[in-house]
Amino acid sequence: MPVEVIMPKVDMDMASGKLAVWHVEEGATVKKGAALFDIETDKAAMEVEAPASGRLQHILAAPGQVIAVGAPLAFIYAEGEAVGPAPSVASAAATATPEPAPAAADAVVTTPVAAIAAVEVANGTPRATPVARRLAREAAIALESVIGSGPRQRIQKDDVEREIARRAAIKPATPAPAPVYAAEPAAPAVWSEESGDLHVTTRKGTGTPLLLIHGFAADSAGWMALERALPRDLPLIRIDLPGHGRSPRRRIAGFADLARLVVQAFDRAAEGPVHLLGHSLGGALALALADIRPRQIKTLTLLAPAGLGPEIDGAALNGIARASATESLAPWLKRLTARPDGISHDFAKAAMLARLDPDLRAVQSDMARVLFPDGVQGFDLTAALDRVTAPTALIWGRDDHILPWSQALKAPGEVALHLLRGVGHIPHIEDPEALASLIGRHLRP
Amino acid sequence: MNAQTAIPEVKTREMSYAEAIRDAMAIALERDPTVILMGEDIGVYGGAFQVTGDLVERFGTDRVMDTPISELGGAGVAVGAALTGLKPIFEFQFSDFAALAMEQIVNQAAKMRYMLGGEAAVPLVFRMPAGSGTGAAAQHSQSFEAWFGHVPGLKVVQPSTPADAKGLLLAALEDPDPVIIFEHKLLYKMKAQVPEGYYTTPIGKAQIMRPGRDVTIVASAIMVHRALEAAEKLAKDGIDAEVIDLRSVRPIDRDTIIASVRKTGRLLCVYEGVRTLGVGAEISAMIAESEAFDYLDAPILRLGGAEAPIPYNPDLERAAVPQAPAIEAAARQLVRREV
Repeated sequence: MPVEVIMPKVDMDMASGKLAVWHVEEGATVKKGAALFDIETDKAAMEVEAPASGRLQHILAAPGQVIAVGAPLAFIYAEGEAVGPAPSVASAAATATPEPAPAAADAVVTTPVAAIAAVEVANGTPRATPVARRLAREAAIALESVIGSGPRQRIQKDDVEREIARRAAIKPATPAPAPVYAAEPAAPAVWSEESGDLHVTTRKGTGTPLLLIHGFAADSAGWMALERALPRDLPLIRIDLPGHGRSPRRRIAGFADLARLVVQAFDRAAEGPVHLLGHSLGGALALALADIRPRQIKTLTLLAPAGLGPEIDGAALNGIARASATESLAPWLKRLTARPDGISHDFAKAAMLARLDPDLRAVQSDMARVLFPDGVQGFDLTAALDRVTAPTALIWGRDDHILPWSQALKAPGEVALHLLRGVGHIPHIEDPEALASLIGRHLRP
Repeated sequence: MNAQTAIPEVKTREMSYAEAIRDAMAIALERDPTVILMGEDIGVYGGAFQVTGDLVERFGTDRVMDTPISELGGAGVAVGAALTGLKPIFEFQFSDFAALAMEQIVNQAAKMRYMLGGEAAVPLVFRMPAGSGTGAAAQHSQSFEAWFGHVPGLKVVQPSTPADAKGLLLAALEDPDPVIIFEHKLLYKMKAQVPEGYYTTPIGKAQIMRPGRDVTIVASAIMVHRALEAAEKLAKDGIDAEVIDLRSVRPIDRDTIIASVRKTGRLLCVYEGVRTLGVGAEISAMIAESEAFDYLDAPILRLGGAEAPIPYNPDLERAAVPQAPAIEAAARQLVRREV
């Protein structure tokens, strides 16, 4: 059976990708792991490797075409394998269930993408036998992440067992809370400071704008999934933090310094009162901003905000900031979602592409060291939360591995608290629709 | 061969299924003076399938009684005799003819203990030659175990081996309530080692005939042998089927089947009665409702008789009930996840 080449999901909020160029011509031989084609997403262009060795046949997508995630783009036939008739896209999608990967190493790479494709084909709750359901339940594995090998992609017992084994195999890659900070050399950063204002982008619309402040090691592009789920005419203002996105690399002395830059950007960008939303570090900054400019803030939405307690997964933050290769970045990224399988290899690869600049990594590492010394949140905003007068909502994933949601209990009684099930530290990416609907309720007067 | 009956030091003798039944009846007639045999042509003729044989010569016509050609009348007399304290073994020439005696079996024998508040019992055994394969056509080839299994107050067993045929008949006589024994006509000539002397095989207990890991095949009567034949073929392909002889339709041995399905995760029910509303439907539902449900890794499959009268044409007759290749194919489908 030929191996299907599919549009990979390299971004959590990616539903389709644009094929940029094929590196291999139809009928030519290709080696597993060699560059096969390029795709362009909103964030990055990236190379996709051949999933198998053999001869590339039945190219179904031309450069420039936008293809749904999981849809077949071509097929690779093993050397000597008879080339069958070109499969129609529909039938190819129906037979998208891959053979179980023989090697665990292969499974680690291919399973998340393939699983997504299989589940999308099934269109709804995955079909699974009772024993498969029970085993998945007992192992706390979402059936959506398991490839079904039974009839019509029904998930069988051994499919779940394979998934359990796969996860057990990747466990060692998941970092133990290593003494990262102790090992960190106190060497001066090599990057040179830039000057200039924080980068601000806007989306036009009607009514009071929603101002978005992203978290550590993210940027304004990370709001894309949420923006799609929010009302189309809601005006938006997005601030890129210093050393993040397109903002200049600024050296900061501490949280107050960072908050000052954000207030300056706000004063510059906002023409009137705003609804304010911040995530993680951006949540702490939003809280600080609401504390400093109380009359300018109509509502405040804090998404897993920092600043409400000392605990934080500092190892993960530092690991993400410093990682210089997909292999070292991926295990840390997996801490961000409720379950490790929320982050695919291709997602990590795309994230790494955006972090190839060593200066950017150095800036963010320095910022992590300043803000979260010794893996502790070095700033406390609980007093600010007590002072906030704007209607405030705290939204937290129950499976947040970076900041524990129990910190939300510090909030005074007037603050609305929403704890999302099955969601980790990045609700705006893990479940943008649910978040948008909560925000919609909160913003309505 | 039989965990309940074959104790190692017990002497065994090879006999046919029919001979084992005759042996059981002779032992019962000898050890219990209240046991009598009744039925059409069971005396000097020796029974429609020569099961009673020479018993009339050994025990006399007072204890081995020919009854007139009226199943309703004969069964009625047997029920009455049982109420007075005798233990009749009543033979139908064909289980199909039990339809003529339904009133006595279902409305009288099965109900007496309950309706008389336990003051009376009907310790009666109905022997019913059943099943297809003898070219006896639609009115002489049926499998009615589900019919009678549907009636509280009756016990219904289907021995698949000579040893069980003997042990279950002796157990039926021990039982204070009416017991129906379906004897498969194609099994009468089957020979096997049978323990000598008196023993009973518990009613309501299934037997694992072949342990296996991959699929549970619950079969009854002759289907047990076809399932075992299929299991041998499956084993050559590395498919390890567990074959369970149901033995008793009422009561059904829940525990054995549930334990087996928990182990294999797959269930195939094979029975000769019409597939719809049959014994396999009951077993399927029982498993779906049980703790074994969470262990199923495939849909439950049933193989039963065709939704048609048993044909006279031998080829069609064979095609009307499950045969070994069909059992093999169904088990293969289950294990290879083709269903």
